[in-house]
Amino acid sequence: MKFDLSYTIDALPRLLEGATVTVQVALLGFLFSITLGTIIVLTRTTLNWRILNGIIAVYVSFIRGTPLMIQIFLVYYVLPITGLNLGAFTSGILAITLNSAAFVSEILRGGLTSVPKGQFEAAKSLGVSGVALWGRVILPQTFIASIPPLVNEFTQVLKATALLSIITVVELLRVSQQIYSANYHPVEILSGAFVIYFLLCFFVSRGSVLLENHWRVRRA
Amino acid sequence: MALDFSIFVEYGPRLLMGFWLTIKIVIAAIILGMPWGLVLALGRRSRFLIPRLAATSFVEIFRNTPFIIQVFLFFYVLPFYGIRFPAEYVGTLALAAFGSAYFAEIIRGGIDAVSKGQLESARAIGMSDWQAMKNIVLPQTLSIILPPLTNQTLSLIKESAILSTITVNELTMSGIRVQGEIFRPFEVFIMVALLYWGFNESIAFLMRKIERKANKARTSNQNTAEKTTFISRGSSR
Repeated sequence: MKFDLSYTIDALPRLLEGATVTVQVALLGFLFSITLGTIIVLTRTTLNWRILNGIIAVYVSFIRGTPLMIQIFLVYYVLPITGLNLGAFTSGILAITLNSAAFVSEILRGGLTSVPKGQFEAAKSLGVSGVALWGRVILPQTFIASIPPLVNEFTQVLKATALLSIITVVELLRVSQQIYSANYHPVEILSGAFVIYFLLCFFVSRGSVLLENHWRVRRA
Repeated sequence: MALDFSIFVEYGPRLLMGFWLTIKIVIAAIILGMPWGLVLALGRRSRFLIPRLAATSFVEIFRNTPFIIQVFLFFYVLPFYGIRFPAEYVGTLALAAFGSAYFAEIIRGGIDAVSKGQLESARAIGMSDWQAMKNIVLPQTLSIILPPLTNQTLSLIKESAILSTITVNELTMSGIRVQGEIFRPFEVFIMVALLYWGFNESIAFLMRKIERKANKARTSNQNTAEKTTFISRGSSR
């Protein structure tokens, strides 16, 4: 057998369609996970209830200690038993969100420690507190400090979406499986998908530098 | 719905068999992937263009694509060129290749963290590049890279779940098969998750202990090293 590029080229439009779904799922999941991760960090630092902190610690440890695939199965198979029927797409995004939020909360916790204590004190002495303190002073600095690991986390999410093909979310990998199960040319089709994934992740991870520079200028 | 964990008595042994295969695969992948990662790390630091380019592309390609599609490609590409292995071997190979890219970056970071003066002074007293690397720099990187290597090992255990997609009968696959027979997804997948979780947490706990010990040993070593240099300096004068 010989590698026949024409199959890859024929499949390209459908693969790109699948890639847009991949990007959508990744963006949605990442958006939710940043929100959830921020909430987790805020409850941990501002409320600081022992029981809540314990629950968060167990949650983070569970997510980091088990494979994403099992987490996806748990969300996809277990929620319907409790009467919640979400469908593949929504449960997929839910699984990605729950997974990534644990990592995002750890990243933000690290970013938070890089914000100098003087910032809290200065804000308090100016009478800035509560929502304004966190929304205007602390969180922006936390996010700026966390740009590189957050961008890295986004590429992880991009790669993680490929696992949703197992629960029939029709993203890039699922589309390629559909194509090669019809034409029996898995190598050509998968190579195409492989290259698309690579370009997506590679350029996103290189974009980190651009983001950093952009925010550094605005800060100064 | 009532939860019924008594099925663990009946199906537990099968899950544990799967878990044993997971561990064997990960150990094999580390044994294959670690030396290859060292080769890649040294290749990326080479002063010749071709090894540098080859190592860099290998690392970037494996780090910037989902592991599941790498597994599929290994699974379909090898037979495409007439190489036929059982799924377990293909999976181990894919896991080793994937892991080696990450190992390479960790080792490279460790080498960079050892101060440049170490390599330069080793070269200055007449060691070859390889001797300086082997005798001076690499031993010092070991304690630096131990924590990230542990993390990477834990992440390989988790990634190995993906090998279930190419019918490797490891822990996740055993879980899927048991669930297919008894239709109790929650109990089965929770048990599988607990096995992964417990194992990962205990390794992490163990490594933290070792690390603490190593750190203590290193600081006391440094103290004696400082003393000895002080003494030798005195005597050379």
